[in-house]
Amino acid sequence: MAETGTWWALLVAPAMLLGFAAAALAADAALDARNAGRPITVSTVVRPFLAVPRAVLAQPRRLPASDRLLWRAGVITVPVAAVLSTLVIPFGDHVVADLSVGVVWFNAMEVLTWAGLWLAGWGPNAAFSLVGGYRFLAQGLAYELPLMFALISAATGAQSLRVTDIAGAQHGLWYAVWMPFAFVVYLAGVLAFSFLGPFAYPAGRDVAEGVLGETSGVDRLLLEAGRWLWLAAGAAMAVPLFLGGGAGPGLPPWAWSLVKTLLVLAALVWTLRRLPMVRADRYVELAWVVLLPLSVLQTLVPALTDLSL
Amino acid sequence: MGLTAVLIRAAALRPRVLLVTMPGGTGVRLAAETELRSRDWPSAPTPAGADLMLVAGPDCSRLGPALDRLWQDMPRPCVRVRAVTADEVAPVLDAGRTRLGAPGGEPGEPDGSVGMNGHGSAEPESAGRPDGEPARAHREEQTEGEHDVRGVTGHEEGEHDHDGHPGHGHGDMEMPGGLAMAEPGEDRDGLTLDRLHVALGPFLADWPAGLTIRVVLQGDVIQRADLDEPAVGRPGDPFWSRPWIRAASGEPVGVGEAARLRAAAHLDSLGRLLSVAGWPAEAVTARRLRDDLLDGAPASAVLPRVERFARRVGRSRTLYWLTRGIGPLSAVDARAAGVTGPAVRAAGGDVPARYRQWLTDAVGDVRRMNATARLDPVAQESPRGRWDAERPPSAALATLLPRLLVGAELGAARLVVASLDPDPDELAVGRLEAAGG
Amino acid sequence: MDTTGMVLLWVLGVLALVGGVLVFTLNSMARVTFALLGSLVCVGGVVAVLRLPYLGVVIVLMMVMEMVIMAVFMIAYMMNPAGLMPMSMLHNKRGSLVVSGLVFAALVAGIFLVPWPDRTGARPRDTTFQVGMSLMGDQMLTMVTLGFVLLATMVGATVLATHRGRYDRFGDDLDQRPANDPADGGVGR
Repeated sequence: MAETGTWWALLVAPAMLLGFAAAALAADAALDARNAGRPITVSTVVRPFLAVPRAVLAQPRRLPASDRLLWRAGVITVPVAAVLSTLVIPFGDHVVADLSVGVVWFNAMEVLTWAGLWLAGWGPNAAFSLVGGYRFLAQGLAYELPLMFALISAATGAQSLRVTDIAGAQHGLWYAVWMPFAFVVYLAGVLAFSFLGPFAYPAGRDVAEGVLGETSGVDRLLLEAGRWLWLAAGAAMAVPLFLGGGAGPGLPPWAWSLVKTLLVLAALVWTLRRLPMVRADRYVELAWVVLLPLSVLQTLVPALTDLSL
Repeated sequence: MGLTAVLIRAAALRPRVLLVTMPGGTGVRLAAETELRSRDWPSAPTPAGADLMLVAGPDCSRLGPALDRLWQDMPRPCVRVRAVTADEVAPVLDAGRTRLGAPGGEPGEPDGSVGMNGHGSAEPESAGRPDGEPARAHREEQTEGEHDVRGVTGHEEGEHDHDGHPGHGHGDMEMPGGLAMAEPGEDRDGLTLDRLHVALGPFLADWPAGLTIRVVLQGDVIQRADLDEPAVGRPGDPFWSRPWIRAASGEPVGVGEAARLRAAAHLDSLGRLLSVAGWPAEAVTARRLRDDLLDGAPASAVLPRVERFARRVGRSRTLYWLTRGIGPLSAVDARAAGVTGPAVRAAGGDVPARYRQWLTDAVGDVRRMNATARLDPVAQESPRGRWDAERPPSAALATLLPRLLVGAELGAARLVVASLDPDPDELAVGRLEAAGG
Repeated sequence: MDTTGMVLLWVLGVLALVGGVLVFTLNSMARVTFALLGSLVCVGGVVAVLRLPYLGVVIVLMMVMEMVIMAVFMIAYMMNPAGLMPMSMLHNKRGSLVVSGLVFAALVAGIFLVPWPDRTGARPRDTTFQVGMSLMGDQMLTMVTLGFVLLATMVGATVLATHRGRYDRFGDDLDQRPANDPADGGVGR
């Protein structure tokens, strides 16, 4: 049973999330440098973080007839939802709030991104930005249901919505092993709600960075941070859901959680550059005609297993 | 005070650059892309995300207002520099960074720009925007037809129509921000939706520099597309067709040299297409190969890398799945429009057919780079088709664009343009020749 | 219920009401939609504070998705310039005032007139299971039927609303492949 509710966990969880996000960003910068033929040094991985002083200095954007209130609300929602999602993610033996409905909580926080990004696209009153906001909804309609069924598969396997129960129910046989399809769909969903790499459709280069295009300064920093925080949160959540949480031989639970989270994160960062951007006009049909039925079938596997036990 | 100075200096270590290519500035753009890549200065596709604006290429008075609008849209502190020749790029970037990191300008204050090398841009081009007021003014002027440039500021006029509705009648009220209302129109699904007028170009990122297509959007579906007269820079010296122009004027040019340039041109187009398709990693690979070719790297060194690149991109199922069926152009239609280049030879005629043709051609050209025969400008194709000064190959490609774009979604439309990649510099040649003859 | 719970309950309740009032007083369709969303999220919070965490969080989850999709349709189909153009959210003021007054009175009366049952037995630790059992246990057949009816309604409504039929897609003899669509999908049907 996991320890919960110590006051310092409330501070440590966001800090660790930030750390994982920073690690992912640094790894991505290193891969970028290798691809571009630049030497990989310490400064290579530190340089992306120069965006922080830049953002603090830059003047905020003023556009005619923009809806500043909604724009700000959207921009803030994305990273805040990412941080809130970590409340239920166990790390080793520790979890901030071991909610009995942890999986649903994570899902609800992730869905807040829908509202956040749509608002971030709507607020500035600019065509490409708005297209970007709508693009995320189209992408959301495609990835969300398969992702939900992936989450449900794990919850059904453990017969609990409590994340620590799910991690504990995997007795050596990870859900990633006997529910591989749910695991893959979940990872694709992580990339989709962090709108990075192949799922950068709402911020695509073809619409001049879409939702990000009109943002500057702190607004841009918050949205960009939101992307990487969500990637980190998704990777951290994959560990208790599909990889047995902190369980493992030899090392203490926190170390196993750390290793597994970093491995998932590395796999995700590696995937970012392997695929072109998936446009929703192609992905929606694939998601509804192929992925969704297969996800339902995947959920049937743990359901039938539960019945036969 | 001290902290601000430190922050300014830190931020200036890695400026985000808005690279604006002027017509005729291809050579400078290539130098700038190489320089930015080796310095790890990210390139920003919109003014909002940039703090250093690099104008690459000769002056063009017609695009001046568009440039100024971009400059006004950049958040302060920011710096504007111009490089007229490729050699100027590195010093101009250094100067821009120094200026950006100078602790003098308080954040939030408009910075002047940096001019270099006495090319007439040394006077500070200040673009004060105290509190957004001038920005608003320029937007109002835009709604009268001068729509913005990067599309980033194409207003969201959609979702508005003229219909008075009893409950919401607000007849003559003032429009927010002084923006005009959009008019409704039939869309392809039989609904009546608002139309939004947006100009694609002339300075859109990963877009043929100087090309402007005015589109009418419903949602993100293009309902109408019109090609603008290209803005002419310096009287035509299209970078990618130079060997053919020289050969046509009787100068001896080697086939190998032409093949090298053609391969580089295809890789440049591929880099743009891959960037638009959202595959930045492979776009960088394409651009590195292009730069190596232009640097004169030996064929034996480049060939394996080009082949590997061609395999990875050409055989990517995902890229094929994402682009198949987009921008269909049969060989018959293409020939009827006067297209002669790879776009005609691309069997199947959609976007994947065209990028695969480029890949095949690029590999073939790299193999041919050591040939020493003399270039016959008529028998040998220039990168975009058979060279003809009166009717350059890009002209045919550009005239095809409007009808291929109608009915396409914005993302698909960008892919179509990138897969044909007309070179506006060639168009300028054609018009000058036509005017002269 | 402890003090924190009571405070939360009141704060969320008041915020939900404020959001509800804003829905009628704001003049932008986008803001109104998100005021409604804020109100519904507070309702979700109230339900969670009442120790029905599953229902509370699911209300938040569903309402966010629903309101964002609703914003799209409200803005697309509103006859007068909607999102950015200021507009009044009130129609037929007198009639709606009467109707809402009556409904409010009926609901308040209901609160006082209904003979609410007293609690019997201990409170379960995890109410999610109880909610599931009471919805699905005896009423499984109802829920399954309801699910299919809902799905059939959605599919039927979409088919009826679609402008293009299969003859438009596949030609008069239904033998044209690939289908003649304005834009290709991802599966290539």
